[in-house]
Amino acid sequence: MNRFDEELKLALRREEPSPDFTDRVMARVAESQKREKPGEEAVWLRRLAEFFQPPQMKWAMAGAMAILMVIAGFGVHHRRESERKRLAEIAEGERAKEQVMLAMRIVSAKLKVAQKKVNEAAGHEDRGSKIEDRR
Amino acid sequence: MERADDTLSRAKDGDQTAFADLVREHQAMVFSLAHYFSRDRATAEDLAQEVFIHLYQNLGSIESPAHLKFWLRRVTSHRCIDHARKQRMKTVSVDDAPEPVAPSDFRDSLMTEALRRIVATLPEKPRLVVTLRYQEDLDPTEIAELLDMPLNTVKSHLRRSLVILREKVTRSLGEIRV
Repeated sequence: MNRFDEELKLALRREEPSPDFTDRVMARVAESQKREKPGEEAVWLRRLAEFFQPPQMKWAMAGAMAILMVIAGFGVHHRRESERKRLAEIAEGERAKEQVMLAMRIVSAKLKVAQKKVNEAAGHEDRGSKIEDRR
Repeated sequence: MERADDTLSRAKDGDQTAFADLVREHQAMVFSLAHYFSRDRATAEDLAQEVFIHLYQNLGSIESPAHLKFWLRRVTSHRCIDHARKQRMKTVSVDDAPEPVAPSDFRDSLMTEALRRIVATLPEKPRLVVTLRYQEDLDPTEIAELLDMPLNTVKSHLRRSLVILREKVTRSLGEIRV
């Protein structure tokens, strides 16, 4: 530090305020406390108001957003699950329908075979009786 | 340090006597910062009072005696700048100030008074930087942190202010000892 710096330090040294400064500060502190000593209702209102001010508000908003996201997540999951169940039910129905159709086709084929055999048997019987008649 | 810790924790617990002790301990620092900035005792006392009321309302956030000192310097500096902005403070030009007649035995007090007046003519931020540097003996890094200012800006404020101060003191008091 040079001489000029020393002079500046000396010129800008700390000074005390008026002798009653501390008392005046404490009087203002007491006054502000009196003003801030409200009834229960006012305390409740102040706390509520404080809650809606940063940073409390920020946390409340974050909490609300988190809850909304969880609810939205559940909603999406539920909707997907319902859709999946509905598609599974449709597929199951289709499968059952195909099985019924297949069964019907088999029955129909079997009936055709049976009918053919009956017809053939009837043909043989007709031919036998005609021969006997000729004799 | 332990005593300061104890005073702070008692004040945080609501002990008014301990808070009064904190005020007494730091009032010269807070008042002087405001005084060299505003050059008006009444304004400086009002600003200092507001700073301590604000401290009382925010005692819970103060972590240690060192943090308390930092907090007070920071809040005082910002309050001073805000106040100056609101008031559009009139700065006294050193050219308007009466030329001091300097008998040699009064030279020191004249130099001190001249320097204070000239510091008061600096623009707000350089004035605050010079006050923090020479009143509080803070280095440029600490000042930069306190005022949220880039380090190079603090250094340049200091450099330029010192040039202005030297020039004006030389003009005001002559070449003696400057």
